[in-house]
Amino acid sequence: MKLLKTSRKFHRWLMLFLGVQFLIWSVSGAYMVIFDIDYIHGDSLVVNHQTKVDANKITYPLALLRQEYPDAQNIAVEVFIDQVVYRFSENDKKVVVNAIDGEKLSPLSANEAIKAAKHYYSGDGDATDVELITENPPIELSSRVLPAWRVNFDGFGNPTIYVSEQTGKLVSKRHEFWRIFDLMFSLHVMDYEEEDPSNQLLFWFTLFSILASLFGAVLSYFVIFKRSNSNTILGGTK
Amino acid sequence: MLLLKKLHKWLSLLVGLQLLLWLGTGLYFNLMDHEKASGNQYRQRPAEAQLDINKLVEPKLILSKAKQVVSIKQISLLAQPYYLLTHTKGLYSHFKNEYSLVDAYTAEPAIIDEAMARKLAQSSYKGQGRVISATELSPPYEDIPREQNEVWQVNYADEVNTSVYVDAGSGRIVKHSNDDKRFVDIFFMLHFMDYGTEGSFNNAQIIVFAIFTLFFSLTGFIWTIELAFNGQYKVTFSNNKRKLALFDKEQKSLGEFDVTTKTNLLDGLVEHDIALPSNCGGGGTCGQCRVRLDGKVKVTSADHAHFTDEQLQQGFRLACQHDAMEAEKLALIDTLVTNKAKKYLLELTHSEFVSPFIKELRFKPVGDENIKFKAGAHMRFHIPPAKGISIPSRLPDAFKRYWHDIECLEYEHQACSRNYSLANGNGQIEDGANELVFTVKIQNAPNKTVLPGVGSSYICNLEVGETIEAVGPIESFFAKELSNKPMMFIGAGSGMAPLKSLIEEQLNLLHKGRKVNRDIYFFYGARTEEDLLYKEDFFNLSRKKANFHYYPILSKPPEGWSGAKGYIQDILASNIDNICQLKGIEFYLCGPAQMMSETINLLKTKNVDASNIAFDEFN
Repeated sequence: MKLLKTSRKFHRWLMLFLGVQFLIWSVSGAYMVIFDIDYIHGDSLVVNHQTKVDANKITYPLALLRQEYPDAQNIAVEVFIDQVVYRFSENDKKVVVNAIDGEKLSPLSANEAIKAAKHYYSGDGDATDVELITENPPIELSSRVLPAWRVNFDGFGNPTIYVSEQTGKLVSKRHEFWRIFDLMFSLHVMDYEEEDPSNQLLFWFTLFSILASLFGAVLSYFVIFKRSNSNTILGGTK
Repeated sequence: MLLLKKLHKWLSLLVGLQLLLWLGTGLYFNLMDHEKASGNQYRQRPAEAQLDINKLVEPKLILSKAKQVVSIKQISLLAQPYYLLTHTKGLYSHFKNEYSLVDAYTAEPAIIDEAMARKLAQSSYKGQGRVISATELSPPYEDIPREQNEVWQVNYADEVNTSVYVDAGSGRIVKHSNDDKRFVDIFFMLHFMDYGTEGSFNNAQIIVFAIFTLFFSLTGFIWTIELAFNGQYKVTFSNNKRKLALFDKEQKSLGEFDVTTKTNLLDGLVEHDIALPSNCGGGGTCGQCRVRLDGKVKVTSADHAHFTDEQLQQGFRLACQHDAMEAEKLALIDTLVTNKAKKYLLELTHSEFVSPFIKELRFKPVGDENIKFKAGAHMRFHIPPAKGISIPSRLPDAFKRYWHDIECLEYEHQACSRNYSLANGNGQIEDGANELVFTVKIQNAPNKTVLPGVGSSYICNLEVGETIEAVGPIESFFAKELSNKPMMFIGAGSGMAPLKSLIEEQLNLLHKGRKVNRDIYFFYGARTEEDLLYKEDFFNLSRKKANFHYYPILSKPPEGWSGAKGYIQDILASNIDNICQLKGIEFYLCGPAQMMSETINLLKTKNVDASNIAFDEFN
């Protein structure tokens, strides 16, 4: 009886302080497991185009390209929307040129970015706004892909398609479900302070939560298995 | 609210273990070395090719000879330039992709064979280990569960058993894994309940558990709020004491008690030897620790669950749900305390069957104290937790046949308390009695699912010389002030004890030469002649004392029985008018509930004033 009372007392008191985080853990955890991670990644927001490179359309040979761009590296021939293009890096910039006549297509203008985004986007809503991001990207965009065009679409979950300004490639796709997931993840790992990599807060909360749960387990044991007098029949014969 | 608490309780059973796993593995993730957990202990960046752009073969030339591509791209493998041809492009590199490779200078096709895979692995490895094997594998892979392409697994003999995975199509280094990472993966498997090793946390089992856990947290959260709302979280730094006025069932004052404001009333009363019944120990779930406070005292959900609105209005509450701050007076529902009540240690001196199911038990207070009590009083016994057996060990041969049909059960019971009435009538003579007599009926279980009476079995199986704690005497049933009014005692079964006590007391008073001469009628019902307790004693008394009239009534009389036959309340109904003038008679009742309620109803129809009926409830 003493153990039962002590456990109840500690369980109640600890949960007074930890209860909110328990609720946060279970809400965020449930969100993260219920929504399919591929959906969260926005895989359904985009079309994985398989347009093949038509070799006959390459009328601007590498021989000409290397005269124009002697420092070209990582040269690729790919399809950009409907044109065959060369993509390559030059010093620390990336360049796209038309494979027909070598016309430079990069950096993309806002209209070209919208056109590219529409090409990648699987929905049929219209682009609502477009914005070039060159620094301080939002959380949902890696700084490695900058500069990039942010193209917002009118669609379920406010989808956004990010197109690289220099390559015209799809660099990211996000919708509200990803944004909520990101928030949920932060809440789940109690990532409230950017500067604290060891996350002391999470450590102490988890430690006390284990303690509180163990007291809860004792309670369950008493209340469920040693219930009502806990007068248990051991065996009987007639 | 009750449903919510029940839900919380049962969900704890369902998700409790997984919850602990989540917390435990979560703590591990918080503490683990993230560098080690990455598996990249010996990973390095492979050297890049020093590209001579003039030597590159025209992509057009390669495409004209190759299978159609989505992309052709110059890459670097083993510091050599290659063209990577992507024939089918997955959304991510770990999705299904179809590649081929061509030497970027010679246009010679290249494939990732074992030798190439080993070299590629080595180019990304900075450890001292030797390659011990290189195997081409197909998905799924334990180390890289999300990978859908064929890979080479290159294993190293180093202290962490590094494995390097090389994409068999493109030569890309997919991943490094080692024992440290594999160890962490076990924790991820537990945290994600990923027992199918799909490398995902979207499996059915975790979704089900997550939903249950959500309800579990939610119910707990609401419960906590409710507790806070009801003022169950209180921090008192000083051990404040205050007075609590205590009353018994009839609102008779029992004086003031000191209680600490910190503890709840259930615990507070225990400090004064008032042990209210409680199975849950203060959780508000068993509903046994009933008391009566002021009707204005706030009502908790536990109170709601166990009382009707009318009772709540009258002030009925559970003692464990309230503390001394909330109440100034408290009335016990279950009468058990008088100022005389004290805790005694009693030693069994005599234990004997007086009928097939009833035993006479005699106790002496340890320390040879005398105990003063009014006849009709009872003691509250503290039954400790013990193992019990449904059939007493030492049955007299004569009674064995009555126990044939009783199932012999062994069981374990928790501590409880039980009231037993005193059967001796000398509690007020001189310094009181130094021997306490009880007649206790061993309560048998009505069916298999219910245990026999744990209290009666325990106390009746005590051995002579053993001791037991009891609080008392508790005087809730006693004779009115001495007068000449006739008294009628009506009882049955083990209701004998308080009646016998009262009759003896009355006859002893007469014996002491007081100028009182009152008629005493005793109606006692039983099944068979063997169930007739103290038959000889009462027959003898009735012969000796002209004013004592004994009427045994049997429901199953033997042949030749000259007394009344039937149920006591029926016999009374048809004969009571012939026995005596009912006006002014005092009635004292003790017996089974049905007998009592029917008798009380009968007396009411005979216009007996309720104030003249005293009864002792027992169960």
